Amino acid sequence: MATYLEFIQQNEERDGVRFSWNVWPSSRLEATRMVVPLACLLTPLKERLDLPPVQYEPVLCSRPTCKAVLNPLCQVDYRAKLWACNFCFQRNQFPPAYAGISELNQPAELMPQFSTIEYIVQRGPQTPLIFLYVVDTCLEEDDLQALKESLQMSLSLLPADALVGLITFGRMVQVHELSSEGISKSYVFRGTKDLTAKQIQDMLGLSRPAVPMQQGRPLQPHEQPVISSRFLQPVHKIDMNLTDLLGELQRDPWPVMQGKRPLRSTGVALSIAVGLLEGTFPNTGARIMLFTGGPPTQGPGMVVGDELKTPIRSWHDIEKDNTRLMKKATKHYETLANRTAANGHCIDIYACALDQTGLLEMKCCANLTGGHMVMGDSFNTSLFKQTFQRVFNKGFNGEFRMAFGASLEVKTSRELKIAGAIGPCISLNAKGPCVSENELGIGGTSQWKICSLDPSTTLAIYFEVVNQHNAPIPQGGRGVVQFVTQYQHSSMQKRIRVTTIARNWADAQSQLQHIEAAFDQEAAAVLMARLGVYRAESEEGPDVLRWLDRQLIRLCQKFGQYNKDDPNSFRLSESFSLYPQFMFHLRRSPFLQVFNNSPDESSYYRHHFARQDLTQSLIMIQPILYAYSFCGPPEPVLLDSSSILPDRILLMDTFFQIVIYLGETIAQWQKAGYQDMPEYENFKHLLQAPLDDAQEILQTRFPMPRYINTEHGGSQARFLLSKVNPSQTHNNLYAWGQESGAPILTDDVSLQVFMDHLKKLAVSSAS
Amino acid sequence: YVKPGNKARGWNDPPQFSYGLQTQAGGPKRAPLTRRAPAPAQGAPPGTPPDTSAPAASTTLSPKSLGPPPLGPVNPALRTESARWTVEEPSEDCSVLADAVLIPLREALDACRPTVQKQVCDDIGRRLTVLRDTWAQGKLSAPVRKRMSLLVQELQQRHWDTADEIHRSLMVDHVNEVSQWLVGVKRLIAEMRNVPTVELAEPRDDETETLPDQEAA
Repeated sequence: MATYLEFIQQNEERDGVRFSWNVWPSSRLEATRMVVPLACLLTPLKERLDLPPVQYEPVLCSRPTCKAVLNPLCQVDYRAKLWACNFCFQRNQFPPAYAGISELNQPAELMPQFSTIEYIVQRGPQTPLIFLYVVDTCLEEDDLQALKESLQMSLSLLPADALVGLITFGRMVQVHELSSEGISKSYVFRGTKDLTAKQIQDMLGLSRPAVPMQQGRPLQPHEQPVISSRFLQPVHKIDMNLTDLLGELQRDPWPVMQGKRPLRSTGVALSIAVGLLEGTFPNTGARIMLFTGGPPTQGPGMVVGDELKTPIRSWHDIEKDNTRLMKKATKHYETLANRTAANGHCIDIYACALDQTGLLEMKCCANLTGGHMVMGDSFNTSLFKQTFQRVFNKGFNGEFRMAFGASLEVKTSRELKIAGAIGPCISLNAKGPCVSENELGIGGTSQWKICSLDPSTTLAIYFEVVNQHNAPIPQGGRGVVQFVTQYQHSSMQKRIRVTTIARNWADAQSQLQHIEAAFDQEAAAVLMARLGVYRAESEEGPDVLRWLDRQLIRLCQKFGQYNKDDPNSFRLSESFSLYPQFMFHLRRSPFLQVFNNSPDESSYYRHHFARQDLTQSLIMIQPILYAYSFCGPPEPVLLDSSSILPDRILLMDTFFQIVIYLGETIAQWQKAGYQDMPEYENFKHLLQAPLDDAQEILQTRFPMPRYINTEHGGSQARFLLSKVNPSQTHNNLYAWGQESGAPILTDDVSLQVFMDHLKKLAVSSAS
Repeated sequence: YVKPGNKARGWNDPPQFSYGLQTQAGGPKRAPLTRRAPAPAQGAPPGTPPDTSAPAASTTLSPKSLGPPPLGPVNPALRTESARWTVEEPSEDCSVLADAVLIPLREALDACRPTVQKQVCDDIGRRLTVLRDTWAQGKLSAPVRKRMSLLVQELQQRHWDTADEIHRSLMVDHVNEVSQWLVGVKRLIAEMRNVPTVELAEPRDDETETLPDQEAA
């Protein structure tokens, strides 16, 4: 068993890939009976310290419909200088530069350890990165001040040659001309009228007598466009003036009557930002960064009116279909998001306010373009300030972690087809023989565009086995998948990362135990959860839960060991043992339950769930709980009410929150001040240890989580109590008086009850 | 250093880490806390607390008869590095003179004048004046003055990258104090890179650069 775990871990580290199944059922029929689809989580730009990029072009298969990249799994005839494509079996000549290759003198891409390889290629002109700030000025004084400082600070973190631009908005939208001449000039737009890209460009005087630029054709050096405009200037040239300009920004001057919301033209401001970049820098890495402190209240994209007595929509209103503005606003932002994605740009949303800001309507802007979504209470919080700083973080190699304009192409061997992808991407509508008609997620294509990504961005990719039933196991015994990611590195280089993986086929009837042993329950849980959350965006909550339940029951029927109609006999093998509890916690998670969350919060949680890697996703599904006590080192404990003991400190990580909870006795000791007495230094250390561990998580997590320090009986203990499995409640009294664990006041079913029902249903001969 | 978050404005605001701590994060790491407790044995009767392996001590310590915590040596298994939870930078008496910082900056600006646009130089000069005034009015905290003196030392030794890194750390950690004038220093560092090597203190090897966070040492 350890060997499969090691295999899975090695593959994740080397290739950034985790498959639900690591031995594949060899026929379509058998694959559908596995319940969990054949799928993988792919982290295309996973950080690899030991992977120096090579400085040449990849060698492609010569068949025009294939073009797979030469890889270590290809058969090579060194004497004849030929290689056979392992996707279409085409025999290809090596290019002349490969004349000297032999078994002993292999190029990197043929060596087995280079199943993942990165190429630096020369394509087109190198354009600097672009950062366009779109800043809401309808903020309270101290929020605006904090935001201005963060923006000024960011000028020091940007790459020196990056282009920056500034748009501010309130009732009006101002596009600021940036010059080093010290005279600030801006173009003012009304916030109520949407404009086409053409109109925006005309009004800003951007309609150059342009050299017609053909997309996709590399530009010749002499026709390289002017790499700046009056609105986008290199940061090293205008940093001083922009610092002043930001420093002088005032709150929106229009008076706001009592009982009114400020008029905020977010929809038009974003539209102008998109239009500005669309006209000047299509298909280059660019971030539109929207900073907003409240909902859009006028013009296209308006989410709520300016009357404070009309509250912003709630889940209740949405269920009642009482949302006059929501659909129109969503449409507006979807149109913008699609245009932005088509241009290869991305939109970040930094929304800081106590009330909702319209993330539900605007979410597509970040979701379709790979932009960030950050939700905070105020710009004057460390949550916002540090999250924003971390956008500009650098990796181990000193390079920015952000990458742009990626396209991901998936190639499969003949027995597989591609069903779809879920992640911060859009379809590139690349049809072909390896595209399945059955869609899971964003399907109907073998290529997706990811406008912005970083080394942790992770996509779920779903496959379909198409080999016919009773057909022999395919030739070679292995199925192959190749992922080709082309992107703009933060250093402006064009790079191509190629990952080629293979897995064994097995006959599910005679070799089921092989398939079973190679099940990756963690990957499977996240892949199923992504499907569930993807569905939850368009379907009713209960339907999604029923679907998940049905899948779980079917999986248990297929892989459990039991006697018919005898629930007590039910057993799951080790490789499936955690899967039901992942599903239990997923059902309770804010990704599928909207109770107690605003529509904005749900959008925010789902946004992050759809892009994080396996480890982080799993933390989101089932939070991690560690216990600190006088007995031994900190140890992981069950996410269960029985883990809440008086003489323990608990540290819970839900990804969005870090909670430290002092048990009853510990809290009393702390109040009595034992930690300050020299003879109780051990107690002082016990109190300190979880703080230090929390700090490590806080130091690296993006976005910055909320940080909760609480104790037994504290009101904030609810964060812990709402997450643990309620194995002891006020309803099952017999746990009382045992001094073990903490009863939870809830009517939610516990994991034990859930498991009992699951077993009953799984073994039932009626189903 | 680590500062507490802004609890007044943000609900459960996390603490704030200094630039040095954040950029260090890539250093040697402890194993992340990502393990999970094994699932309870299958077939346990419903309602049974699944974790019966809880230390025996748990049940004997009733909160009603609360005694002192157990005495004993510090548990070596607890990984504490309490030193890092200092609330602020050590604000030790810092006797950096304004002139020690300002004069070298002015000299650097003069060195730039022949090659750099007049307007840019004037702009930098204006910001140095702001720096002088805020310093004179005692508005700059000790850590800022300390780091500025380090920055100037690096500048004099033509360690542009290190100086730039100090500027970034100042900008991130103390933006409210420095935002007005530091951008002038930033520009000065950038312009100095292009000035041919003539004057200024002894040029030295650029390779042995130190990180700004070592300043505390």
